[in-house]
Amino acid sequence: MSEEKLINEDSFTFYKVDDSVSEVISAPEYSYWKSVFKTFFSSKIAIIMLIIVAAVLLMSFIHPMISGYDNQDMSNINNPSEWFLRPSLKHPFGTDDVGRDLFDMVWAGARTSLFIAIMATVITTVIGTIVGMFWGFSKKVDIVMIEVYNIISNIPFTLIVMIISFTLKAGIWQLIFALSCTSWISTAYFIRVQVMIIRDREYNLASRTLGSSTTKIIFHNILPYLISVLVTSISRDVPHFISYEVFLSFIGVGLTERVASLGRIVQTNAKYMQSAPYMFVLPVFVTALISISLYIVGQTLADASDPRNHMI
Amino acid sequence: MTETNREVLLDVKNLEVTFTNNRKKFRAVKDVSFQIYKGETFALVGESGSGKTTIGRAIIGLNETSDGDIIYKGKKINCKLSKEESKEMTRNIQMIFQDPAASLNERATISYCIAEGLDNYKLYKDETERQQKIDAALESVGLLPEHKSRYPHEFSGGQRQRVGVARAMVMEPEFIVADEPISALDVSIRAQVLNLMNKFKIERGLTYLFIAHDLSVVRYFSDRIAVINKGRIVEIAPTEDLFAYPLHPYTRSLLQSVPMPDPRIEKNKELIVYDESKRDLSGEKPKLREIVKDHYVFMNDREKAEYEVQLQKMIEERKQLKVG
Repeated sequence: MSEEKLINEDSFTFYKVDDSVSEVISAPEYSYWKSVFKTFFSSKIAIIMLIIVAAVLLMSFIHPMISGYDNQDMSNINNPSEWFLRPSLKHPFGTDDVGRDLFDMVWAGARTSLFIAIMATVITTVIGTIVGMFWGFSKKVDIVMIEVYNIISNIPFTLIVMIISFTLKAGIWQLIFALSCTSWISTAYFIRVQVMIIRDREYNLASRTLGSSTTKIIFHNILPYLISVLVTSISRDVPHFISYEVFLSFIGVGLTERVASLGRIVQTNAKYMQSAPYMFVLPVFVTALISISLYIVGQTLADASDPRNHMI
Repeated sequence: MTETNREVLLDVKNLEVTFTNNRKKFRAVKDVSFQIYKGETFALVGESGSGKTTIGRAIIGLNETSDGDIIYKGKKINCKLSKEESKEMTRNIQMIFQDPAASLNERATISYCIAEGLDNYKLYKDETERQQKIDAALESVGLLPEHKSRYPHEFSGGQRQRVGVARAMVMEPEFIVADEPISALDVSIRAQVLNLMNKFKIERGLTYLFIAHDLSVVRYFSDRIAVINKGRIVEIAPTEDLFAYPLHPYTRSLLQSVPMPDPRIEKNKELIVYDESKRDLSGEKPKLREIVKDHYVFMNDREKAEYEVQLQKMIEERKQLKVG
């Protein structure tokens, strides 16, 4: 038992503490867009709706090219055996009162309606966002713009669209112009409010003291915070413009007989609601399918693009 | 204890900041004058709402001044400056913010946050030098280069505040306004950030305007202290003088509010509550005047006489304590 352990200075060695070890972040690297897609695809309904949106978009942009549908082609107008055919294999949606194939007609109409809605949304969002940014940032712009907003938002939208459609004559581009010419201001107002909320946050002051210009602050500090807000606004606008086009064509302001549109189909077929219900129900169903699927996809994407939903 | 003819870096003269809200005017800062010498840490102490932050922001140009001058290196900076001049000023005077959770852009990587100033001023020749500068800035505050691609929300409060410090330091400024840089931090990491700031002060000869309400921190960190009450400076003195011989009643009440880690002293402490309405305010309008060298108090002639008596008494007491 003589093996006594002696503790003296030699038993100790200096150990250098590495501070940097405590600084390491072990969590996996965060990537904004990766998290957006991960959150988006975690919702089953969103995936189903996305498939529907893709199918609808493909159908409405490819099918009219294959079918070569022409709304003015009424070759069967004197052939009553082709009128009012119920849905069958040859005519999945049946035929209408002058013997046109309703399936071809609906997809050609969907193309027109979607094109109008998407173009109007793009124009509205781009102009609205740019104007809204500077509107929210500058007090001088605010004084002028708030008056413009008050005037425009107090004129009924339908009235503006009707006057423009009448003066510029009916047509796709005229309708796009009519739809987007005043509606950008509500997007701009919406963005203005959002900008005002985050404009005076401390990190923007910090950017100022680092010498960043207003443009740089807008694009790097404000815009990234508004992605989810913008996606929400877009996902609301597309279905809104589709239903508006339908509504306008339905009251007879929108497009002429030359092009097919969902609104026109619903309008002209409404009178056969009882005698040949498929002629009215099927186009309405397709319209609803487009609106709902786009809206749900947009809303899920908006939620997914908000980083607060990434931490779960 | 102070050298004469030290270089004045920042000279604030009769500064006034007014906020207007629905035509109602509120003077947040009234007739504030002080000088900050090159290489020192000047602290601004006062309760919340006293106008400390407003002064700091006025210096950096975030708040507009309604009267008075802010003179930096002999040049007035609170007026309309030419583009180059204001750019130069922005680079020279940097700020460390109070809340590290709010002062970093959550949607940008750490690399972007730190390089923001570098990019604005093109303080590098090429991309390699830019990366080197970012790496060096991260390393100087004890962070790792691998943090560059991370986002602010992944960091702890102390780490974020160090990013805030690194972001200011990368601009190679001369003067830093530190607006309560540690009040939002955990007690355990306050010293870390303070030591970091001290390290930069020594290494780079920086000058700080340190805004705080925590007197113990101020005592540890600063060379001179200005006590501010309701937008007005009531006393300026070198740190030890202020703690040894506080003259203005507000300063005395502020110093006394620091809790003592001894329950016996704490229980028997006679609290001085500062109440301006109960003070004798007779005599002419008070001004910030020097009572002994480098020690300024907001007073008039009558008060000056009182303070001089008080000061003598305090000096006597000190002497007796030392003898005893």
